[in-house]
Amino acid sequence: MADQGVAGTSGDRRALLLRVLRRSLTGRPRDTAWLATWSLVQALPSLVSGWSVAKATGDFLAGGAGTGRGIEWLALMGLAALASALASRQTYLRVAALVEPLRDDLVSMIVTAALQNATWDSAPRDTGAVARITHQAEIVRDTFAGLLAVGLTFAFTAASAIIGLATLVPAVLLLAVVPMAVSLALFCCLLPSFARWQGRSVVGEEAVADSAAAALAGLRDALACGAEDQLLSGITDRVTTQAAALRALARMNLLRTLCLAVGCWLPLILVLAAAPSLVRRGVGPGAIIGAVTYIGGVLQGALYTLTRGLGGSGIRLAITLQRIVEASAPPADVPRAIRDGDAMSGGRALPGETRPGLAPARPGPPGRPGLPWRPAEHGAVTSGSQLPSRAARDFAAVSVRGVSFAYSPFAEPVLHALDLDIPDGDHLAIVGPSGIGKSTLAGLVAGLLQPLAGEVRLGGAPVTGIAPADLPRYRVLIPQEAYVFAGTLGQNLSYLAPEAPQAEVDASVDAVGLRDLVAQLGGYRAHLVPTALSAGERQLIALARAYLSPARLAILDEATSHLDPVATAQAETAFAARPGTLIVIAHRMSSALRAGRVLVLDGSSARVGDHATLLASSPLYRDLVGHWQADHAVAQGS
Amino acid sequence: MAKHDRHGGDAAERRLRRAADRLLLHMARHGAHWTALLAVTSVTGAVADTLLPAVAGHTVDVVLRVASAPGLAAGAPGQAGYWLAGCIALILVIVACGALGPFAAGMSAAATTQWLRCRLAGHVFACGLRLPGRFPAGDLVSRMIGGAAAAGSAPSSGILAVTAVITPAGSIVALALIDPWLALAFAAGLPMLAIVLRAFVRDTSDITASYQQAQGAITARLLDALAGARTIAAAGTGDQEAARVLVPLAEVRLHGQAFWRIQARVAAQGSVIVPLLQVVVLGVAGFELAAHRISPGELLAASQYAVLGAGVGASIGRLSQLAQARAGARRVAEPLAEPVAAQGTGPLPPGPGCLELRGVTVRSDGEPLLDGVDVRVPGGAVVAVVGRSGAGKSLLAAVAGRLLDPDTGEVTLDGVPVASIGRAALRRAVVYAFDRPALFGGTPREAIAFGVSRPSTAQVLAAAHDAAATEFLHRLPAGLDTPSAEAPMSGGEIQRIGLARAFAHADQARLLILDDAMSSLDTVTEMHVSQALTGHLRGRTCLIIAHRAATAARADLVAWLDRGQLRALRPHHELWPDPRYRSVFTPGAVELAAADG
Repeated sequence: MADQGVAGTSGDRRALLLRVLRRSLTGRPRDTAWLATWSLVQALPSLVSGWSVAKATGDFLAGGAGTGRGIEWLALMGLAALASALASRQTYLRVAALVEPLRDDLVSMIVTAALQNATWDSAPRDTGAVARITHQAEIVRDTFAGLLAVGLTFAFTAASAIIGLATLVPAVLLLAVVPMAVSLALFCCLLPSFARWQGRSVVGEEAVADSAAAALAGLRDALACGAEDQLLSGITDRVTTQAAALRALARMNLLRTLCLAVGCWLPLILVLAAAPSLVRRGVGPGAIIGAVTYIGGVLQGALYTLTRGLGGSGIRLAITLQRIVEASAPPADVPRAIRDGDAMSGGRALPGETRPGLAPARPGPPGRPGLPWRPAEHGAVTSGSQLPSRAARDFAAVSVRGVSFAYSPFAEPVLHALDLDIPDGDHLAIVGPSGIGKSTLAGLVAGLLQPLAGEVRLGGAPVTGIAPADLPRYRVLIPQEAYVFAGTLGQNLSYLAPEAPQAEVDASVDAVGLRDLVAQLGGYRAHLVPTALSAGERQLIALARAYLSPARLAILDEATSHLDPVATAQAETAFAARPGTLIVIAHRMSSALRAGRVLVLDGSSARVGDHATLLASSPLYRDLVGHWQADHAVAQGS
Repeated sequence: MAKHDRHGGDAAERRLRRAADRLLLHMARHGAHWTALLAVTSVTGAVADTLLPAVAGHTVDVVLRVASAPGLAAGAPGQAGYWLAGCIALILVIVACGALGPFAAGMSAAATTQWLRCRLAGHVFACGLRLPGRFPAGDLVSRMIGGAAAAGSAPSSGILAVTAVITPAGSIVALALIDPWLALAFAAGLPMLAIVLRAFVRDTSDITASYQQAQGAITARLLDALAGARTIAAAGTGDQEAARVLVPLAEVRLHGQAFWRIQARVAAQGSVIVPLLQVVVLGVAGFELAAHRISPGELLAASQYAVLGAGVGASIGRLSQLAQARAGARRVAEPLAEPVAAQGTGPLPPGPGCLELRGVTVRSDGEPLLDGVDVRVPGGAVVAVVGRSGAGKSLLAAVAGRLLDPDTGEVTLDGVPVASIGRAALRRAVVYAFDRPALFGGTPREAIAFGVSRPSTAQVLAAAHDAAATEFLHRLPAGLDTPSAEAPMSGGEIQRIGLARAFAHADQARLLILDDAMSSLDTVTEMHVSQALTGHLRGRTCLIIAHRAATAARADLVAWLDRGQLRALRPHHELWPDPRYRSVFTPGAVELAAADG
């Protein structure tokens, strides 16, 4: 929460940036030390150049034997260049050694956070944003590498110019260092506002992209509403704002260049102006030329590196890092409502701090007030201590006692003091209008959601007391969106029962009607490409996987929504015949008719009974079944 | 045939390239004053850059001569002053040009990028639904962001690509002028430079491709896993899945290290060549100095010209920037080449809402999605459009209210071609509701009121009621005025807001098009909404795309689409005996019946 709360302030960005940079440098001290050493070697030509040119010039001027010595001085320069080339290869490799692990860390952090945050209510996340985040790890790698290289190059080159001048012609040192210091000071003064505009430009560009993406996503609706102009002006406003930031950056850049010009050129002018008096004081022509070489070649080069390299990469790095940190925030920071099988809109965080408590009529459990939509927190109680020596079959009986649950602080409770008993071996269908809480009940029974009040027990044990790692042994839940991963078909099928013998795999494949698809895909060893499968095919694979699971309690949450009625019937009949308990959240009324008992959820109340009882006692059930029959009656009537 | 296609492709490619170049020219004219400033400053700056080493060298010579032989010539100290002043003047020119040039480039890029982005955004809306059909939304956004930014720098890249040659070329000439042997020594080293540059381009492209491929594998695995978040949560396998997703990271690392090794090698080669060139030139200059054929100042100038001359490599880099800018312009020009739908301007005289489609065909990549559809819907009739998915139902709905123009054929509303009706008049006459509506505005009230007309509060409330949205809206903390960010909505709720938006604007409408707009409603709610349609909204022509037999049964007529063609336009009960018609509603059932039979 803290990271999100202060998101966007430049101070926070800077702190984050510094923390990451420091950690990645201090975390690998050996590589850092070698990087510094090789950078030093890399700067040797800068250090040698002035001296070599100075001495060589003097020797060449002397003529005769001097020419040979001059060549030796130049050879020294060549040797320094060779050493520097070797060193530059090493610095690249050391920079790589520092930034490659950074990329690995960031990608691992993003992926692990995204998947650990994968909870019952996080399914419809903006997956595209997460995908872009992995690309942002690349930006961090590249800009960080660039910053390291530029920073080191500048530091060592400038230092060698100063050392060279100080040893060659001490008299001109001040003439070079003072303008350079002034120039750097001015440069640093401009840096914050430059960074601010750079930040505005980056954020502005994101705003343009967001508004364009939103407009394109809603283009059909905008056209249908005759509101093209409205949306277009929204985009052009943002484009204009961003262009203003770009122009401001161009102006800042002008100022910056002028600041650095002081450091680049004033020393040269000063040295040239001072040359006559220097010569009069006995400084040789070689030394003058050497000094000009240090100033014109080395110092200018160092300052030039600084402008080019520090352009905006620091800011981009900081902003990108911030995006990554935001994306890896724990799920509690992004509360969202849960509705039956529906994709959520927006997905933005509710205002966390100002969240009002729930009405007094529905008090939360002590210690966790007002956060009913949090995923269940499994805590101290482990299966080992609570559930010794009990067979899995005991957990196939479900008892729901006084369970209440609300989507959000603003919503009516979806489930209100619900009591429900599902004995082992029962086949229960849950029906009701969309958004009424059917998936929520499934999540509560599966121990993935924490009730606001009341308790769910599996075989007499509170479901939230069972360790999450043990839960899959007792119950299996298949959501509407079937998960098939890139792996073999066999791996996908044995996901919940890795040690299942082949005969059982075959049996489950035959039971749910997957056999044809197995043959079509090329057997259990076939590698699956999830996107190449249809939604229905993925659901069949998920059904076979669940059938194979050791759990005796199976919950199908609209798990056959993409199958045709015939395939649905086969799958549901297979699960009904499977030993244990079956709960089906019904997508079609025919699923309800197949079940022994039906739970009708109707907002404020819930009724359970068999078909005949419910027809007599539940107006909603009559309505649901009646409409369904009316469909057929009208359809077949004529 | 294939040959013909290829020629067609070549011609299209040439057209596109020409369009991109025209766009670049247009842009250059757009920020002309900045472009001109950049041209002037970069030429002037380059010339000054080239002159400075010679002038500075000569200044050093004069100073040394004066200092070593005072009193040799009375005018000499003054002469040194002139040369120093010349140096300072040149430096001032360099500083001014060095600051103004990038400034002009920045301003020019800002102006042209802004112009390109606005133009592309305007074009997207002017083209209507056809553009998103040809270009995925993400692709269009990236063309608007990255493509426009790259193209926006084209005028400056073009100028800099030309002017970047001035200094290196001038330096080589200057070397030759100082002493021909210097130029020869320099020229001997140039081929090395070319070899290094070539090696870099060749080596990295392969590695970069495999690196990105491995990275893409991680992304793909992560997306799969996120889509299965509920399964992973239920199975408690988050850590296991993270490990699975990260498997390709090892490969990423491998390619990454290979990339750095190549970079390191190229950097080493690159960093050795310029200093060696300089040493070679200095060595030759030393011999010439010893032989008194050049002066110390000329040696200094030669040393700097050797460095400047090696800038030839950088000017090749400029050329690749220009290529990038041209590629960016191409990416922007491509969607801009799509034809704009002409705006109608005519009025729509009063009428009952009689809709007629004549020979309507819509193609995508040559494949007909709607194929010569003829439909005549009498005013006030309720028509259900049915068909399997992919039959062209939504396309028919889009064409009927001119969200999209057909490739051939015509659509008329009360005898007036919809293409000729003014936009506002058409939008008032035809309202839409969709399966997954995109909502605009910050609150539910704004979302419902959004559109070409401004409905009153009473109309908004009535519309919310008709759409069965009142109950859930009242539960929100600030009701209809709850900020959207505080009121996340389910798909069914969003659908009902979309219906309310249509109903709130149905006042003056004569054609209502519901494109699967009740798919997420339960049967009870659907009945409630249908009552509004048959109640006080009665009299308007209704086009309802539906999947349920009950909806088709309630309609006056059913338009049965099959693979883009109209199978029939008849009442439901007349069609029902046809098993193929029934199979539209219960896929699989017919095959089962056939198997049983």
